[in-house]
Amino acid sequence: MNDVDTTAQSALDILAPYILETSRPIPRRVDVRIKVDDLVPAVKALLDANWGYLVAITGIDRPAVQPTEGEPEGEDHIEVLYSIGQGPVCLFLRLMVPYSAPQVQSVCGLIPSATLYERELMELFGVDVVGTPDRRRLIVAEEFPEGIYPMRKSFKAARTMSSDEDEVRE
Amino acid sequence: MSTNLTPPWQRALNKIKSWARINSPWAIHFNSGSCNGCDIEILATLTPRYDIERFGIKLQGSPRHADVLICTGPVTLQARDRLLRIYEQMPEPKFVIAVGSCGLSGGVFHGCYNIEGGINEILPVDVFVPGCPPRPEGIIRGVAVLLDALKKGKHPEPVSDDYPNFNPSAVSASNGKGKQ
Amino acid sequence: MTDQSGVNKFVVPIGPQHPALKEPGHFDFTVDGEIVTGASIRLGYVHRGIEKGAEDRTWTQNIYLMERICGICSHVHASSYALGVENLADLVSPPRSKAIRQIMAELERIHSHMLWLGVAAHEGGFDALFMYSWRDRETVMDLLEKVSGNRVHYSANVLGGVKFDITPELADEIRMGLDILEERNRHYLNIIMNDETLIARTRGIGTMSKETVERLGAVGPTARASGSERDLRLDAPYCLYKEFPVKLVNHSAGDLHARFIVRTEEVIESIRNIRLVLDNMPEGELTVRVPRRIPAGEVYSRVEAPRGELFYFIVSGGGEKPERVKVRTPSLCNWGTITAVAVGHKLADMPMILAGIDPCFSCNDRLVTVRRNHHEPQVWSWEQLRRYGVEYYK
Repeated sequence: MNDVDTTAQSALDILAPYILETSRPIPRRVDVRIKVDDLVPAVKALLDANWGYLVAITGIDRPAVQPTEGEPEGEDHIEVLYSIGQGPVCLFLRLMVPYSAPQVQSVCGLIPSATLYERELMELFGVDVVGTPDRRRLIVAEEFPEGIYPMRKSFKAARTMSSDEDEVRE
Repeated sequence: MSTNLTPPWQRALNKIKSWARINSPWAIHFNSGSCNGCDIEILATLTPRYDIERFGIKLQGSPRHADVLICTGPVTLQARDRLLRIYEQMPEPKFVIAVGSCGLSGGVFHGCYNIEGGINEILPVDVFVPGCPPRPEGIIRGVAVLLDALKKGKHPEPVSDDYPNFNPSAVSASNGKGKQ
Repeated sequence: MTDQSGVNKFVVPIGPQHPALKEPGHFDFTVDGEIVTGASIRLGYVHRGIEKGAEDRTWTQNIYLMERICGICSHVHASSYALGVENLADLVSPPRSKAIRQIMAELERIHSHMLWLGVAAHEGGFDALFMYSWRDRETVMDLLEKVSGNRVHYSANVLGGVKFDITPELADEIRMGLDILEERNRHYLNIIMNDETLIARTRGIGTMSKETVERLGAVGPTARASGSERDLRLDAPYCLYKEFPVKLVNHSAGDLHARFIVRTEEVIESIRNIRLVLDNMPEGELTVRVPRRIPAGEVYSRVEAPRGELFYFIVSGGGEKPERVKVRTPSLCNWGTITAVAVGHKLADMPMILAGIDPCFSCNDRLVTVRRNHHEPQVWSWEQLRRYGVEYYK
């Protein structure tokens, strides 16, 4: 699998100045944790080296875990993953965005088609993408109230499948 | 139109109107958020193998010319108002056929935020065609059941030859949650 | 309808109810006389909250939910999900099930491309081709039904493998069906290459260069029609695509005509691939046991749907239900190309250009409007826009 390894290694080389943490869970995947502010330079470095295309922007709600005895309470975060694909390898740039400062920079200056992914991130998770050209809602209804982000764990729909099942069983 | 005709003439006119409507109902199709499985089966009814047009049914573009609304999908929040608007634009008398299990109760999406549930939560539905998606033959049967009922001058009744104990009003009363 | 005087612009919002595309969507085009100067997209009509709903359903229930993201590409959604979960559980499904998944995926590609051919022809006013291609598509629907039991939503996948087998008798029936399909598709390829009206409506329309496509991130046949070489079945093979590879089908012209050619040739290539797999089906089990609780971890899964690259990202917390399922469908990538391509074209070409990227609304869900300066926005139904295009070219 030389091809996979060389491709993966080239990505790591390009991102060397920004890497906080990296891992390689499977041969075809490279995870790189970077600082929130380093997003645009990292993406620019990859594009300048002609490495890959943007596959997706994923948000994951990571509410703080219950602290153990004596430990300070953790902060709620939203993890944003930028997936960049090149051949068989998929690179994940991972940022932890705290609820208290939910901003990331837009990559639309480098990748114009990222606007749709960024709009989705904004409306579903409440992450403010600074500098994105289009701030309108993409898929959530206009009637849906502001400030409520459906994909956050704290959002519980009024009626869910499991609540219905419980009612029928009673 | 409110013309003052003597009852026999009025009855004859009504008979002609319903004959025309039954023999050539114009249908309009609306997708209120479905996965398109039902919609492609509805489109397939137009194609040579199933050919719904030989029954006189024409799939139209404008709600103002339509007699029948064939609707699919669990009604999403955005589609809800448009669905209502289309229904209001249709002239009386109008009928609604809900196609697919999403149209019946929300189907596999039951419980997801952003959907209302079955189409009968928004509009009065005359015929339900179950299936995920229903076969084109099933859709044609649904339309035929509607036309048959129109011919007899009454509201469509459940097709009970397969399920003699089926009582649709019990299901819709419980909001699709199943047994009461 | 249109105002030909000077630099007036008007909006033609095409509402969510348009019979031709069979999917709700709202498009916004800004036009100046006849030429489109701007386009924008509004999605949301098919937004059902599936990603959130997935967190509320068990791993197995989610297969059925993911399948119904889209009726046309349901098998690839379920396969991608199943592949991801199997990876999380550190299991590999048996080779025979991979072969069956591949056969179903290629059959689905054939059905999807033929569906697209009919719909795109209908958008161009070529209804005869619509009726013919959908009649022939019934052949592949019959095959899918014989194998799986349903024409749409075949539910071939279970976690760990497939649900049904392809017996030698079924394999023979598939081969007979494929012979018919191949002959018909070669005929359609001939029509596409030679029919003057079709060529007039598609050649030189919606042209995108390879650089534009790569910069905008287009995927699938839309990108391959501009010379791109991205095909996940070759770049990152899954199922048995390494043992039974497909040939890359692409074209350099980059216009709408090239997209027609690429999709029809892909059908022929899929037919060849299915025959290859059928002749060399590995023996063995159909499923491998997958536990109810999937170990904690994260996994991604990329497959080539008929419309392009489908991306799944699944996070497990170790329980019976997933923590997060992210779905990025191919049509979302291709939408970006419309805004770039539409500008400079005539309004009459819009339905064909939109059909050219093979938008799957339910995978994404969107709309279109047209704007002209100094005028009240006008609402056109899609049918009006489509007929406008047909009349314009008469």
